[in-house]
Amino acid sequence: MPSSKTAIARALLPVFFLGVSFAGVAPKIDFPKDSPVAVLGADPGDSSETPRGGAMLVDLHTALTLRNSSQRHIRGITLLVTAQDVTPGGKGSVTVNSLDIGPNETFPIRVDLRLLRPLQAGSGAPVQIGLDGILFDDLSFYGPDKLSSRRIMTMSEYEARRDRKYFKSLLAEGGQQKLKDAMTASVAHSTDRPNLDVQMVRGGRATNFEPEKNVQFAFLQLPDSPIEPIEGMARIAGNEARAPRLEVKNKSERPIRFLEMGWILRDGSGREFLAGSVPAELKLAPGQKSQILDNTTLKFPQRGGSQLGIEGMTGYVSSVEFSDGTVWIPSRADLGIPQLQRVMAPSDEEQRLVQLYVKRGMKALVAELNKF
Amino acid sequence: MKHPNESQLALFAGGDLGFMDRWRVKQHVSRCSSCESEVQALRAASKQIHEIAGEMPGDLNIDRNWDRLAEEMTGNIRVGLAAGEAIARFDRPSSNVRPRRLGWNAGLVVAGATIVFATAFWINIPQPQKDHLVGALGKIRTERLGKVITNHPAATAEDVVLEASSSGIQVKENGRTLSLVHPPADLVTVSVSMRGSAGVRYVDADTGQVTTNRVYYAEQ
Repeated sequence: MPSSKTAIARALLPVFFLGVSFAGVAPKIDFPKDSPVAVLGADPGDSSETPRGGAMLVDLHTALTLRNSSQRHIRGITLLVTAQDVTPGGKGSVTVNSLDIGPNETFPIRVDLRLLRPLQAGSGAPVQIGLDGILFDDLSFYGPDKLSSRRIMTMSEYEARRDRKYFKSLLAEGGQQKLKDAMTASVAHSTDRPNLDVQMVRGGRATNFEPEKNVQFAFLQLPDSPIEPIEGMARIAGNEARAPRLEVKNKSERPIRFLEMGWILRDGSGREFLAGSVPAELKLAPGQKSQILDNTTLKFPQRGGSQLGIEGMTGYVSSVEFSDGTVWIPSRADLGIPQLQRVMAPSDEEQRLVQLYVKRGMKALVAELNKF
Repeated sequence: MKHPNESQLALFAGGDLGFMDRWRVKQHVSRCSSCESEVQALRAASKQIHEIAGEMPGDLNIDRNWDRLAEEMTGNIRVGLAAGEAIARFDRPSSNVRPRRLGWNAGLVVAGATIVFATAFWINIPQPQKDHLVGALGKIRTERLGKVITNHPAATAEDVVLEASSSGIQVKENGRTLSLVHPPADLVTVSVSMRGSAGVRYVDADTGQVTTNRVYYAEQ
């Protein structure tokens, strides 16, 4: 008769050889003690941990329930997700913008992630979830800001205010019909906008087959932009673009500490798409010029039809942060430039309002616009 | 005339030379008076030794034990020679004897076990680790064997790679992966920052919240 140890070993054999899932994978949630949001609960949902050959596949689906314990309205929040066993130093974040969470109100945040980590990794929680930052309605900020959340959420809040103001003006000028037309146009624009898969590799080229050439940037000049792009170049090989080099000038009267350039690529058939953005932290005094260099490679994998062949590039200034913390973003008039309109994604707020209109109708949209 | 040496004369005197040597020495001694006198002297000495030995007690009689000792020595020498031949045959097998096939059989067993192990390993290894292995082998081919394909350093699976698609984003490093996924959504926007992050924005159908997932390079 087999011993109890043998019976346990036999029972566990399928776990190792057939990949039976373990349940009960829970992240470690670590918020600062003085955090303006409190964690009320964390539902592990369908999380599981499954052996896959020599590794462990962790599927984690958590819904956090948070409460605003401050006296201000929360506009945005960023959670920092780390898995040191998996990608030492590599990390992820979950940001929710365009919020309006009043004092003592609760709200959920979903974290869905998948890890492939070695079997010999530590036995503790595979993932830690922490707080990187909270943006309030007065643009004040709380948090360690390891991921530059303050700037990202502030930009998003500026865009939200710009777009709410724009849609409110449409409602005031042309009533619900004009607002409805704008919503319909936004939905159509989102549907038509090309959305490509992207791979990004730090350093050298991702493949070695296509001949490489230097391609000059063309620039979209936005009239009230504080930055003037002067010239630029990047190396192009087939469906890869790398090492952008841009020269810019501060044409405003205030010093600038951060700017971001949008990067539009054009293929052989004349189709354009937004490849990515080239950010730069710098100290740029009024009238001063500076170069932005990067050694990253972007690759656009073949999806469906023929491989993408990059033929041309266009750059534009997508955001600027002055030394005093205020920011500049393109106006709604700038976004009306056809080339920008074709490729740029709507702001977080516009996307939220469109979704609200599609799901709940015009009445809910108007009520939302009238809130603040 | 060349005289036999002292050893040959001694052996001749004792009757221990071989047939040809004995004949040759005998011919010489019959014509050479000095050698004949030497032989006579040796024979006299031998006779004298035998006479002295005959006066010893019975159990120490050399004459009686001499033959037995000689037989034992001869037997030992034969045994030694036979053993030497056997060892020499073992070290250098004869060319007409076929070597045993044990070495090949053992090699086949090891090769078979290696193939089974490698196949099982390849089937069970996760794709990222497989990519990493292929990348490492490719690196050996290009860097160690000197078969250069390009002027540019090729990216391998060891490099940190960010991937963004409408289905999710991930950061891959050394065969390990961290992916942020999202529930099915209509309006999904992919964005990449050259500063080292990739993001996907979606509107949560349940809550209506605009959520942006991002993954980052290590240095940010």
